[in-house]
Amino acid sequence: MHVAVGTANGLIRRAMTLVKRVSGMPNYDAYLEHLRVHHPECPVPSEREYFDDYLKGRYGGGFSRCC
Amino acid sequence: MAAIIWILVAVAGASGWSMLALHRGETVNAAWLVLAAVCSYLIAYRFYSRFLANTVARLDDRRITPAHRLANGRDYVPTSRWVLFGHHFAAIAGAGPLVGPVLAAQFGYLPGTIWIVVGVILGGAVQDFVILAGSVRRDGKSLGQMAKEEIGPVTGMLAMVAILAIMVILLAVLALIVVKALAESPWGVFTILCTIPIALGVGFWMKVIRPGKTLEATAGGVILLLFALVAGRWVAASPTLAPVFTLSATTISWGLMGYGFVASVLPVWMLLAPRDYLSTFIKIGTIAALALGIMLTLPTLRLPAITRFIDGTGPVFAGKLFPFCFITIACGAISGFHSLVSSGTTPKMLDRESDARVIGYGAMLMESFVAVMAICAASILDPGVYFAMNAPIALLGGNADSAVQAVQHWGFTLAPGQMAAVARSMGETTLLGRTGGAPTLAVGMAQIFSGAFGTSLTALWYHFAIMFEALFILTSIDAGTRVGRFMIQELGGHLWQPLGRTSSYPSTILASALIVAAWGWFLIQGVTDPLGGINSLWPLFGIANQLLAAVALSVGTTLIIRAHRARYAWVTLLPLSWLLAITSTAAWQKMFAADPHLGFLAHAAETAANIASGTLGAAKGARFIFNDRIDALLCGVFLVITWAVVVTSARVWLQGVRAPAIAAAAEGVA
Repeated sequence: MHVAVGTANGLIRRAMTLVKRVSGMPNYDAYLEHLRVHHPECPVPSEREYFDDYLKGRYGGGFSRCC
Repeated sequence: MAAIIWILVAVAGASGWSMLALHRGETVNAAWLVLAAVCSYLIAYRFYSRFLANTVARLDDRRITPAHRLANGRDYVPTSRWVLFGHHFAAIAGAGPLVGPVLAAQFGYLPGTIWIVVGVILGGAVQDFVILAGSVRRDGKSLGQMAKEEIGPVTGMLAMVAILAIMVILLAVLALIVVKALAESPWGVFTILCTIPIALGVGFWMKVIRPGKTLEATAGGVILLLFALVAGRWVAASPTLAPVFTLSATTISWGLMGYGFVASVLPVWMLLAPRDYLSTFIKIGTIAALALGIMLTLPTLRLPAITRFIDGTGPVFAGKLFPFCFITIACGAISGFHSLVSSGTTPKMLDRESDARVIGYGAMLMESFVAVMAICAASILDPGVYFAMNAPIALLGGNADSAVQAVQHWGFTLAPGQMAAVARSMGETTLLGRTGGAPTLAVGMAQIFSGAFGTSLTALWYHFAIMFEALFILTSIDAGTRVGRFMIQELGGHLWQPLGRTSSYPSTILASALIVAAWGWFLIQGVTDPLGGINSLWPLFGIANQLLAAVALSVGTTLIIRAHRARYAWVTLLPLSWLLAITSTAAWQKMFAADPHLGFLAHAAETAANIASGTLGAAKGARFIFNDRIDALLCGVFLVITWAVVVTSARVWLQGVRAPAIAAAAEGVA
């Protein structure tokens, strides 16, 4: 029973990650993982700080959407 | 075994094409069209894109991509192949591939379909792939930067001016499509107005209430959007509210300009980002539903394969099959704008070099398939209804009876009362002269969805389709106005340094006002145009977009030659020469053709004659003449810039062929 609930949760989580990535949404968990692996010495930003920074990086210089 | 499967695919595709080509005088099922297109894509992907990936670009998974080398967890993020495919597709798919094929259906479904399929295989997908592969090897540099570094500073500057000019026309024509779809339609206006507070709400949720929770905010926003869609019907039926939301074309135009200005100045989290997420969700969902609807209903194409309007006398837009079929279809076959995405966010996310094949080439095939579905949706309409919707009011006369006569005069049948019945079933008061393609596509989609899911919701489907198109056109308007603003600031900064400060408020407001004024001027010109605006602006947009593609293919050719693979340069030179031929012919005809419906200068001369004979007011006529001259000038500027880019590139090509060692590009780690 526990196993089944765990799998369902995992599936939902994976589906949500997929949707986030395809639509270009920020992904805080993935960023934390990136920091942990590549820059363990850096301070960890809050989700709010990360979100602001992400929007600046993605839309700050203008971005292209096609006709 | 594999060989047998590919032979079967080839046979299936060939039978699809022969059904389309040989069944004259009888109606053909849309299934043949879809079959022909899909089999052609499969073969092109399996064989031609493999040649491009292995032999021309020599993709190599041992090279580390910028997503890994420069990983920062924000824009440089290694992303798995299919996720990035979806992301890239959502970024390149817009209103263009849906609208262009609908307009080109004036020539019948066959010419458009052939160009959409052949053009993408040999042109559009090649461009997207070559630029993506080149940018991945140059740290994800943009098209403008590559033009500057690989060809020269003058070419780089020309490319930037070209991109800015094209952006202005693109924004104007997209806004015009929304105006044409929403004018005098309280249901549509209400639904689209609702998208603004909904986007603000989504932005507020993910910025302030639950910071960073974009997914739940967007999901809530989608539900609210659907609710606004249903509520629009009550508004349209209400005798008190309907007049409030019934707006004229001019009012909507000024509203859109105000919106574009505000959206470009506001912080991105308030409007731009939430709108981007909402429209991505709706876009992917609707395109999937449309494909499903066509597969389930397998509708019959009622438009002829080829109409008599290939001679250039068509009411939707002027000009002969060559070059205007190719100019009109634009994005569905080859789109210069994609080169901006292929050298924008996507190369910074590519996990492995070999993924560029499915993402660069494959996603463009998918976009072409969207264009094929659009031509299906237009072609299942009764031809009489198609022409009554897409011809300008000036040609249809002001009422239903004159429209019936006009359509009969063009050789199609339209029963008295037929248009009124169609309009009623779509929840509109009139559909006569609803140019711009979006309403036609919406009627086609409503018919397909009604066939698949029952007819009780036809009006809702129509307005859903209108909302879907208007939603992502508005997204393009706020994103495009913002990009244009940055470009004006960057270009202007060279002339007057304070304008270049992108974070300064006066500079931002001035640059935003300039870009909005530029596209707004063309929008108002289109709205007040007696021939309906689409007739003059869509070809200008098509020429501009194809010329940007020519610039991108010139850069692509340079990249191939500088990598010592000059003998494969034909993969980009072939589509480049075709594009130069069609765009130069089209631009020349738009400037100098003697037919006043086609040539801007001939139209100016005709207007002058009308003023002289007293049939047109002098002030109004003078404005038309001024508009025509500006349009002609713009065509000329586009043409000169493109040829300048091609000629300066050709010098680099010759240099590269004669002395490869000197010209060798630094591919790999730059």
